[in-house]
Amino acid sequence: MSLTMFWLQCGACGGDSMALLDTESPDLAGLLAALDIELLWHPSFSNGGPYEYEDLVARLLAGEQPLDILCLEGSIIRGPAGTGLYDAVNGRPKKNLVAGLAQQARFVLAVGTCASFGGVGADGEIEACGAQFAKWEPGGFLGSDFVARGGLPVINLPGCPCHDAVVAGTLTALATGTHLPLGQFNVPEDWYSMLVHQGCTRNEYHEYRVEEQDFGRAGCLFFHLGCHGPLAHGPCNKLLWNRRSSKTRVGVPCFGCTRPDFPQARPFFHTDNIEGIPRELPEGVDRAHYLAYKGMAAASAPQRLTARKTRV
Amino acid sequence: MPETTILETAAPRSVRTVVDVPLNRVEGDLEIRVELADGYVVDAWSAGTLYRGFENIMVGRAALDGLVITPRICGICSTAHLTAAAKALDAITGVTPPPDAVRIRNIALLVEQMQSDARQAVLMFMADFANPAHRDQPLYEEAVRRYEPLRGSTAIATIAQTRRVLEIVAILGGQWPHSSYMVPGGVVSLPGAADLLQCRHLLAGFWQWYEREILGCGLGRWLEVRSRADLDVWLDECPAQRDSAVGFLVRFGRQIGLEQVGVGHDRYLSVGGCELPAGSAVRPWRGSGTQLVPAGFAEGPRVRPFVPERIAEHVACSWCGDYAGGRHPFDGATEPYATGGEGGKYSWAKAPRYDGQPAETGPLAEMVVAGQPLFVDLLSGGGPNALVRQLARLVRPAFAYSAIEQWLKETQPGGEFYRFAPRPVEGQGVGLTQAARGALGHWVKIVDGRIQHYQIITPTAWNGSPRDSGGVRGPWEEALIGTPVRDPANPVEVGHVVRSFDPCLVCAVHAVRAGRTVVRKTL
Repeated sequence: MSLTMFWLQCGACGGDSMALLDTESPDLAGLLAALDIELLWHPSFSNGGPYEYEDLVARLLAGEQPLDILCLEGSIIRGPAGTGLYDAVNGRPKKNLVAGLAQQARFVLAVGTCASFGGVGADGEIEACGAQFAKWEPGGFLGSDFVARGGLPVINLPGCPCHDAVVAGTLTALATGTHLPLGQFNVPEDWYSMLVHQGCTRNEYHEYRVEEQDFGRAGCLFFHLGCHGPLAHGPCNKLLWNRRSSKTRVGVPCFGCTRPDFPQARPFFHTDNIEGIPRELPEGVDRAHYLAYKGMAAASAPQRLTARKTRV
Repeated sequence: MPETTILETAAPRSVRTVVDVPLNRVEGDLEIRVELADGYVVDAWSAGTLYRGFENIMVGRAALDGLVITPRICGICSTAHLTAAAKALDAITGVTPPPDAVRIRNIALLVEQMQSDARQAVLMFMADFANPAHRDQPLYEEAVRRYEPLRGSTAIATIAQTRRVLEIVAILGGQWPHSSYMVPGGVVSLPGAADLLQCRHLLAGFWQWYEREILGCGLGRWLEVRSRADLDVWLDECPAQRDSAVGFLVRFGRQIGLEQVGVGHDRYLSVGGCELPAGSAVRPWRGSGTQLVPAGFAEGPRVRPFVPERIAEHVACSWCGDYAGGRHPFDGATEPYATGGEGGKYSWAKAPRYDGQPAETGPLAEMVVAGQPLFVDLLSGGGPNALVRQLARLVRPAFAYSAIEQWLKETQPGGEFYRFAPRPVEGQGVGLTQAARGALGHWVKIVDGRIQHYQIITPTAWNGSPRDSGGVRGPWEEALIGTPVRDPANPVEVGHVVRSFDPCLVCAVHAVRAGRTVVRKTL
C-alpha cells in the first residue's frame, strides 16, 4: 500500500533537504522506491509547474488527495505581529498552509530544529516557532493538543541540519509500521537518547580533563570553548556526518543544535564557568562530586595526553 | 502606480531583507511576475517573499557568533557564508591565517562550489529539459531518461557523486552543511596525512566521473576549447563529447532557443575568491593577482578593478524602511516594513548596485572578469544569454579542479593551521568571497566585543534584485525582457532564464496570462 508524502519548506535554509541527499544505500530515490512512498511534492526535487502545485495543494486541503506524511522544514514564521506576512505565498501566510495540511496528514514530521522548536528566528522579529514547540514550551504553532490523524503528535527530528539517517529511519518506521518510542519533546529515543559527546574521538582528553583554551589543538572543548557535546542529545558521533567525521572530532565545539534553545543567546565558543567548572553540567551530575572527580582526573592525566600526542 | 506594477513576486531567501537561501519552485520564496504582450515578456518583477531577519538576529551577539549563525542562512552554500564571516573577523583581528589554513579554507569552498555547480546544472536547470513543454523536441525522450528529477540516470549519478565529494568538507571541517571550522586566524582542524590522502582519493573519484559523464573528455582536451568554433569542433569530434552533459546542454539548449533569451544588462561583478597561499604553485585565472578567482567589474568584455566602496544598496522597491538613493553596507540597515501592495515596493530583497548600476554575478561573471577566451568569444556579438550562463556553471569545476588537487598536495600534514587571534573587541571588517552563485559579502562592526552591525549581500540579492531608486530593473528582471512564452500555464521559458542565474535553489515562476495581463493579485 503506497504512502504519499508532501514536503513543505517554511522559514528554511534548505539544509535539511541538502543533508537528506547525503543518504545512501539506498539513496533518497531508492529509499522512496523501497518504502513505496510517493513523493507528491518537494520544492527542490519536483518538476511540475506552478498550476500543478496549486491544484495539488487544493486537493490535499480538501481531503481529495490523501496525505500520509507531511514533512515540515524550517520554522513557522508568524511575524510581523502574528500576520505571518514575512513568509507569504501569493500574499497568503504560509503558516495557514501548515495548519491546513497538518489537519489532513496521518503523520507530521518536523525535520530540523527550526521546524521542531523555532530555531534561528525564535527570538527575532519574525516571531518564529516550531510546529508544536516554541523552544522549551509545548504548544508552538499547532498547539499542545494537536494530534495528527495517525494518532501521534508532531514527531520532532531536531538538528541543524537533521542527520539524513534520522529522517530516513523515521520514514522507514512509518512505512513499515515499526514502533518508534518518542521521548521528551516528542523526539524518537532511538536517536536522541544519547549525547553528542558519546563517540567523540576526544573523549579520552575529556576523561582526564585535558582542556583547550584556544582553537587548533587536540584536547577537549567542554570547559572553555563552549562545547555542548555532554549537554546535547543527538547521534552525531555515532552515525557521523557524511559518513566521515563530526564537528567535535575535527575541533569545532558542539553548539547544541538539537536543543530547543538553539541558537542559544549566550556566546558560542565560550563556556560559562563557576570556579573553573562549567556552569551547565551533564544531566544528573552533582557539582561537588564532579569537581572532585575532575580534579583527580586532571592530576592523573597521562603525558601522551597532556602533550597532545594521542591523535583525534 | 498602476496595478500591474505591484507585485508579490519573490527573490531568493537571503539574509536580511531577503534571503539568499533556496528558492522553491512553487512555494513562493521566489516569485517572478512577468507581463506578456503578444507572447513575449515585456516587463518583469522579481520578489523575495520570505524574510528571515538574519542581520538583525546578529546584532548584540558575541563577536564570533557569525561563524555559527550565518552558515545557517543557506543550506547549499554554508561554507561560503562561513568563509565570508571568517574573513571579516580576520580583517578585524588583523591576523593573517597561515598558508595551510588558507589552503584548507579554499579546498572546502571550492569543493562546495563543485557540488553546487553539478547539482544546480543537473537537478535544477536541466531538469526543465524533461518538462512536457519540450515533448516535441527530438531529444526529449533522452532528456527524460537522463534528467527527470530523482529518476533520470544523470540525476541519480549526480546525487551520488556530489554526496561523495562533500566528504572532503566533512574530513576537513566536520560536516556538510553547517559547520564552523573556519575561525579568525585559520581553521580549527588538524588534518594529518591519512586525512589528506582520503581527500585526494575522494577528489579523484569525483573527477573520474566528472570527466566521463559531464565533460565526456579529459580536462586537457576541454581546456583546448577556446572559441565558439572550437566548441563546435569539440561537439562533433566524438560521441562521448556530444553525449556528455556539456554536449547535451549545448545541443538541447540551442534547439530550444536558449541562446536567444536571457540577455540582461551585460554587466558583471566578481569580488574575487580564494587567496593564494604563500609559496603555492597555483596561479590565478588571470594575470598576477593575489586570488585564484580575480575580482573585477565588467561592462561587456571591458574589465575594471573592483572597488568595494562602490557597492550600495537601494530600497526604493524593497519592503524596508525607506531612504533616498543607495547606501554602502557599512551604513545600511535592514528595517523590515511590510507595506503590502502600496506604492512600488514588492520584495523583501534590497537592490545592490555597483557604481549605481545593476550587475550579474556568478560563474559567467567570473569567466568574463578572468578573460577566459571561450566565454569572451561566446559573448562577443550578442552579449550573454541563458545557454552561455549555464554552460559557464557546468564547466566551472574544470577551472577549479587543478587548484584543489594542487592545494591538497601542498598541504603539510600536521602543519600550522591556526595562528592565535585575540577575540575581537572593536573594529570593522568586510569578508568578501565568490560563493557558488557569485559575489558574497559580510560587513561587520564590533563594539565592546559585541556585534553592532551586520549586513550581508548575497549573490542572489545581486541577480534577483528588484528595481532600484532609479527604477532600473535587477539583472534577471532585465534578462526576462523579450523572452517568448508559448504556454502561459506552463511558462518553462521564464524558468530557463531565471534558473540560468542559479537562484539559490529553484524558483517559482508565478506568472502570466496572455494579453497584457498580470496574473497575481497583490499582497
